[in-house]
Amino acid sequence: MKVEGLNTNIKLLNVYPYRCTACRNCEIACSFRHIKNGMPSPSRINAISDEQKRQGKNIIVVCMQCDKAACVKACPVNALQRNESTGAIVHIESRCIGCGSCVQACPFGNMKWDFVSSRPVKCDLCGGDPMCAKFCPEKALVYE
Amino acid sequence: MSKIVEITVNGMKIKAKEGEFLLGILLTKGFEVPHLCYHEAVTPYASCRLCLVEVNRGNGFRIATSCNHPVMDGMEVRLDTPEILEERRNVFEVLLAQAPDSQKLRLYAKKWGVEGTFLRVQEGDCILCGLCERVCREVIGVSAITFAGRGANKILSTPYDDQNPSCIGCGSCARVCPTESIKVIDTGLVREIPKIHSKHELVPCRICGRGTLTKQHAQWLAKRTNFPETDFYICEKCKTKETAKVYARVIQ
Repeated sequence: MKVEGLNTNIKLLNVYPYRCTACRNCEIACSFRHIKNGMPSPSRINAISDEQKRQGKNIIVVCMQCDKAACVKACPVNALQRNESTGAIVHIESRCIGCGSCVQACPFGNMKWDFVSSRPVKCDLCGGDPMCAKFCPEKALVYE
Repeated sequence: MSKIVEITVNGMKIKAKEGEFLLGILLTKGFEVPHLCYHEAVTPYASCRLCLVEVNRGNGFRIATSCNHPVMDGMEVRLDTPEILEERRNVFEVLLAQAPDSQKLRLYAKKWGVEGTFLRVQEGDCILCGLCERVCREVIGVSAITFAGRGANKILSTPYDDQNPSCIGCGSCARVCPTESIKVIDTGLVREIPKIHSKHELVPCRICGRGTLTKQHAQWLAKRTNFPETDFYICEKCKTKETAKVYARVIQ
């Protein structure tokens, strides 16, 4: 499908939810990559296990790098900008004033708030080499 | 489209847009210059005086603040000369005397090799850099806080030292503060910013009941994004769970 303004040659982080076992390796890989810490709570990706334990009902929630993103619209200082080579919306720390508007504006809950640095955090596709996809043992996350 | 010019920094040639400010270029090129009152998102104010560099515009080197110095063609810049180090040390000592209670400032000064001060130490943790005031006025656009008084009596305050009804309680002033002088204290559903006499109620998340954001901030955000105001009264964790529920329905 051709979407106007979108580079179709870029890779996408694809999620195959029926393969996911909610092992949460992706969360830990994400935390290690971004804050050098094994805590899953500040990770940019969330693997949510199905409470009713039905097969193939585990869900991975990760930033979809929307075309018309609510976070970008909400940011008053243009601190969220699209990286042309990866297609990801990247949070630029030096421009951010920490008002928290993007966190409330994202309708999917993919903008997270880091209570340590008082700044929002979001998936930036690790600059073109997403660690979550690398460490997913079930290939539920594939960067292709 | 502004003209691309070439400047020399410590003997290195660097290309930059004419009229841009020097400190922003130095930082993006990876040079280390101390700065407290500078932020990319607001106009420079040059009040902390830490970003001093030596600039030669054809009439000899002189010391200038780089954060509000526009780039000109053929400009020469020197960063770590003995004069600069001496001046920077003095500025750090003045700041440390002005705001000795700020842990963050002390650590920052230590990083640049300055500990202790030769001046009489005062009380307080604010260096009056005005970053909070500029963010509130230029970015948020509500001008809830400003400076009051002159000279030694200058303080950051609100009108009549009372709660300003135009404050939206977003907390940006606290999060840009380079000395952590302004603090946001969230207890339950009440957000207090004691330094600017602000007290707001946080709207509870419609699912878990935890505090999300203030009503005024939601109204400000609704005006900006054209989303209904009630869209924002949900915390990010509950939003993630709601998204997961929708996905689970879709892949059934």
